[in-house]
Amino acid sequence: MLDSRTKPGNTPNEPGTSLRDRKKELILSGTLNPIKDLHLGKLALTKFPKSPETWIHRRWVLQQLIQETSLPSFVTKGNLGISPAEGTQQLIREEMEVCGEAAGRYPSNYNAWSHRIWVLQHLAKLDVKILLDELSSTKHWASMHVSDHSGFHYRQFLLKSLVSQTVTDGSVLEQNTLRSEPAIVLPKDEEAVASAEESRINLPHLLEEEVEFSTDLIDSYPGHETLWCHRRHVFYLQHHLNGRFPHSVVQLSPADSPGGTLSDLHLIPAGPHTSQAMEVDGLSDSSKQGYSQETKRLKRTPAPDSLGLEMEHRFIDQVLSTCRNVEQARFANAYRKWLVTLSQ
Amino acid sequence: MRLYSLSVLYKGDAKAVLLKAAYDVSSFSFFQRSSVQEFMTFTSQLIVERSSKGSRASVKEQEYLCHVYVRNDSLAGVVIADSEYPSRVAFTLLEKVLDEFSKQVDRIDWPVGSPDTIQFAGLDGHLSRYQNPREADPMTKVQAELDETKIILHNTMESLLERGEKLDDLVSKSEVLGIQSKAFYKTEVYFLTDSVNGRRTK
Repeated sequence: MLDSRTKPGNTPNEPGTSLRDRKKELILSGTLNPIKDLHLGKLALTKFPKSPETWIHRRWVLQQLIQETSLPSFVTKGNLGISPAEGTQQLIREEMEVCGEAAGRYPSNYNAWSHRIWVLQHLAKLDVKILLDELSSTKHWASMHVSDHSGFHYRQFLLKSLVSQTVTDGSVLEQNTLRSEPAIVLPKDEEAVASAEESRINLPHLLEEEVEFSTDLIDSYPGHETLWCHRRHVFYLQHHLNGRFPHSVVQLSPADSPGGTLSDLHLIPAGPHTSQAMEVDGLSDSSKQGYSQETKRLKRTPAPDSLGLEMEHRFIDQVLSTCRNVEQARFANAYRKWLVTLSQ
Repeated sequence: MRLYSLSVLYKGDAKAVLLKAAYDVSSFSFFQRSSVQEFMTFTSQLIVERSSKGSRASVKEQEYLCHVYVRNDSLAGVVIADSEYPSRVAFTLLEKVLDEFSKQVDRIDWPVGSPDTIQFAGLDGHLSRYQNPREADPMTKVQAELDETKIILHNTMESLLERGEKLDDLVSKSEVLGIQSKAFYKTEVYFLTDSVNGRRTK
């Protein structure tokens, strides 16, 4: 089945386009097993963890697999042999692993992390349980790669996705999940509360944990801008959640409104890994939305609650009084300035 | 964040003597590993030779940071790490290792020792344990006495050299580097890139 024409030699020198097109033909005709192609791609990534062509092709294959209708049915049935839902779960797990490995092979591997996000959006449909799993399972990795901007950006994506799927209704939080019934909780209905309990997540607690995580890392590993950047994102999400910006969601694409966007707040230093919507390929319209699924115009709002601000200022004071690292002091001061901007 | 090598040396009058070393070159591609190891030995010796007794320094070279501690009794240690690894922990490790070494190995053996003759088994274990700085050294145990402002920072290997000295010359004269490593040096950057750091700059 596999001959030299189908070998995924995704080297920079190969005439990539024609080989990729050939592989697509073979997959669509049922000659080349897409699962096998994914496996070979995984091997290619061990040598070329950034290779854009490999990631792009991978997304095309995954898209064929989840659409199923475009592939001869014996291919998909033979491959998965299990329920479509389980098959998708398997694919998701595998992709998380592939991305994780590639991320470890190249620092701030934007291509790997943006692929990971794409998988969560298109295969996992931003399922809450999966988002939560990802948040906890990538925590240790992040703590061992404190200057990996893309890795922390991923955590920001997870948190933002969780926030955007939460609708506040007084004191009760509900989330959308992959379940067919909406998890609507009526405070008086105990049974409903119990069953919704599992799907309920404590967002303020999650965000608080992330702040603690950030504090811990900043104290242990002085002088990493990525960590301070991350803290800004988390702080911003916390205050967004506190109802200061009730129905608006974090504006992520700076291309949007001229005033009141995150870019105005200098949330992140300018660079390739900014808050730009992670438009991976422009393949499908949903991928074009990417982040902007969750974005709305950021309205001018009252200042974040002063207690939260006060704690942050105390944190900055503590860092400045004990740190001996020049960069750390610089970042702490920049963070202070940013906080001041927020309350204006 | 990772550690690549941990070495104990003796700073003699003329040159630095390697006493014992441990390496973790697993992140480098297979064929690069022995050259990388040689370069780390070369670098460790050079740094000790150019550092004064009773000093601590961190030398930056591309994505790597070499931390050195030369004690007043001429016993010295070098840790080669990446730029994420916290220097505070690196210096704690050096202090600990040299302390242990000085208790286990007689002083009389230091000036003329070599990795083959020196009996000291702890280095590999320390290197591997300290790969995760927080497990190895919870922040509460960090030496408060260590005054970080006294650590000299060098932005390149070059700044350690005397005026007119060239790293290229030192490399070609080195007895530590094999022919292949020297050839690599000419065509590649000073430190071969590992598959994790990826980037090359020159």
